[in-house]
Amino acid sequence: MTEQVAVDNLIIWEFDFAMTTFYEVDTDLITPLLPKQISPMEIVPGVSLLNITAFNFPEGGLGYLPNFQELIASIVVTPDLSRGVPKFAMYIFSLGSTCQEHLDHSTDYYKLPSYKKLEYGKINRADNAIEFGDTDGPILTMNNCSTNIGDFLGHERYFQAFVLQDDNLFIADLYLKAALFEHQDQGDAGIINNHPFLKGLELFDEERVPYLQMLLEPGTRGKQFYYKPEKYG
Amino acid sequence: MSEQKSKEKKPSYTEFTLDMFSRSSGKNHAEIKQFNQWREDVISADKYTFETPHLTPQTPEIVVRRIHGDEHRLFNFSSYNYLGYANHPEVINAAKDALDKFGLGATGSPLLNGTFDIHKQLEHALTEFFGQEGYGISLFSSGYGANIGVVSSYIHKGDYVVLDHSSHASLIDGAVMSQGTLKLFRHNDAEFLERILKRIAKDNRRILVCVEGVYSTDGDYGNLKDIVTVTKKYGASILVDEAHSLLVAGASGQGAVEKFDVLGDVDLLIGTFSKSFGGVGGCLYAKQELINYMNYYARSRMFSCALDPAVTGGILKALELATGPDGYAKRKRIVENADHLRSLLINKVDIGTSQSWVIPIIFGDERKSIPLADYLMRKGYDFSIMMFPAVKKNKSIIRAFVTSEHTKEQLEGCAEALIDASKEYDFAL
Repeated sequence: MTEQVAVDNLIIWEFDFAMTTFYEVDTDLITPLLPKQISPMEIVPGVSLLNITAFNFPEGGLGYLPNFQELIASIVVTPDLSRGVPKFAMYIFSLGSTCQEHLDHSTDYYKLPSYKKLEYGKINRADNAIEFGDTDGPILTMNNCSTNIGDFLGHERYFQAFVLQDDNLFIADLYLKAALFEHQDQGDAGIINNHPFLKGLELFDEERVPYLQMLLEPGTRGKQFYYKPEKYG
Repeated sequence: MSEQKSKEKKPSYTEFTLDMFSRSSGKNHAEIKQFNQWREDVISADKYTFETPHLTPQTPEIVVRRIHGDEHRLFNFSSYNYLGYANHPEVINAAKDALDKFGLGATGSPLLNGTFDIHKQLEHALTEFFGQEGYGISLFSSGYGANIGVVSSYIHKGDYVVLDHSSHASLIDGAVMSQGTLKLFRHNDAEFLERILKRIAKDNRRILVCVEGVYSTDGDYGNLKDIVTVTKKYGASILVDEAHSLLVAGASGQGAVEKFDVLGDVDLLIGTFSKSFGGVGGCLYAKQELINYMNYYARSRMFSCALDPAVTGGILKALELATGPDGYAKRKRIVENADHLRSLLINKVDIGTSQSWVIPIIFGDERKSIPLADYLMRKGYDFSIMMFPAVKKNKSIIRAFVTSEHTKEQLEGCAEALIDASKEYDFAL
C-alpha cells in the first residue's frame, strides 16, 4: 500500500497519542480466549503475547467525535499471509473507550468487542504514561520502560485484526502511518490489574514482562487506515 | 549518497524479518510463497549472503562462493572454530586413522550396535577431563540432540523447565518435547528467577533450570554463581550448556563452571563438539546413574546414529591437545585476541555486555541487516548477522567470533572494517 484514499470500506483515524505494549503471557492462559480458527503466535513455545494499546483521538480526529481515549486488549495470533505480510496479527478481545458513540460505532462497523464506556483515560504525554479505569476500579497503568528513546521511524506498518461477533470470525486490514519508536527493553512497564476489561485473564507479577513497546513521537500525529472487516474462513 | 542514508524508500525485503514468514493462518500455506518471494527479492538485489558455500576450511582466511557464482576471499569472523582444531593437522590425522580403522559411519544406534571402541575412549577421556568421582559421559550425534534428549527425558508433563530468556533453541525445543511447563526469566537475572521458583516450588513438582556458560548472542557469561545458589535453595536441578565455553573457558578448559567454581553443584552439563572441538556432536556429563538412564531414555540418542568414527577420533585428539600445553596456549591467546578486538571497538561501537570470544556489535535497526551483511562481505569480512527475533528489536547485531588463530593484523583489520561500517550505516558511537 502506498497511499490510502477514502473509500467506502475504509475509515482514516487521526491520533495524537499512541502507546502499545506487548506482554509475555503463558499460552495456556490466553488460549481459552481465542476462536478455534486461529492460533497464538508464540515467541517461544508456551509463551504468547498479550497486547494493550492506548490511543488518544483528538477532536476532529474522526469526523465529529470529541477528544476521547481508547484502550484495546488483544492477543498476537498467526497472520493470514495470503493477504500480505503484517507486522503483527491481533485477535481483539476487549475494547474500551471514554466515548460511548465511538464504542457503538466500533461494535457496529468494526465488529469490535466493546467492553463498556471507561470512566477515565489519563494520558501523561511528557512521561509517555497512561492510566485507565472504570467503575470496577483501575484497569491498568502503562509507561514507557526504555531509558534510551531512539529513532522514531515513520515507515508504514501493516497489521491484521481478527474479531469475533456472533460466532463469526472477521478479519480487517489496518495500516499505521506514524513516527513510532519501538524497543524491547524489559523494565517496569506499569501495572495490569485483574479487571473485567481483560475478560478473566489473571496475570501474575512475573508474567508482566514487556516484550515490545511502540510509542508515537510526542508532538506528532499519526494516521490509522482501518478497513471494514470481512468474514474470515 | 549511499543507499542506507538515502531518504528514498528502502527495498521491500528490508522491511521484513524472518519471523514474519514463519506461520500463516488458513489452508493455503501462504507463508511458503511469501518467504520464497522475500528470498527471491534479496537474491535479485544481489544481497543474498546466506547459505554461502565455503571453498576452504574454517581458517581465519576463507574463500566463499556467493549464489551468483562470484568468489570472495574473506577474513573469517563467523566460525565457532575457537581453538583452530577443526583443521589442526594432528586432529585431521587422528580422524583419518579412525576412518581407516572403523569406516565412514557408525551405522547404528549407540545403544544397539553403533558404539565403537573409539566412542568408549572418548567417554572415558571426557570423564577424566572433568575428574569427578562417580560421573560419566553420554555421547550424542549433535549438541542440539543432546539438549532436546536430555531435557525431554529429565522433565515430564506437569514438571517445570525454567529458561534464561537468551536460551538456545535446543533448550526451548527440549522443554517443549518434555511437555513440562516452560517459564522464562530475564537474562542472567537471579532475582527474577527466584520469583518464579518461589511460586512454582509450591506445586512440589520437578523443576529444571537451564542456563548457558557463554551466551552465543550476548557473548557474556552465565551468572552461574547466583543462579546455582537460587536453584539449589528451591530444590531445583540445574543444567549448564557449555556449547560456547567448553575447552575455552576456565584455566583447564572445563568451561564456565570451572571459571565460576560451580562444577560440583551442576546436575547436568551439556557439551558440544562443533565449536572448540572442531567436529560435530554433543555430550552430557552427569552422575553415572543418570548417564545410564539417559543412554536408554534420551530419544534423540536412542533413535539417532552414533557419532561418526572419524569425527570421534578427531574430537579425541582435540581433547588431548586442549588439555596439554597447546590448549593452555590457545586459551591464553583467544582471551588476549578477544580483549584486543574489544579494546579496538570500545567507545567506537556498542559491543553490549560481551566478556568472551563472542563479540556482538549492535547496529540496531533490523532493516539494515541484509544490506549490511552484503556490505561487510564485499569489504572482505565474514560475520554472522543476527536480527529480530533472534535478538531484540532495534538491537540487531553483527556477531564476531574471535579465535585463538586470528593474528593481531587480522583483528585490527576487522576492527577497522566494523568501524567503517558503523559510519556508513549510522551506528557509530
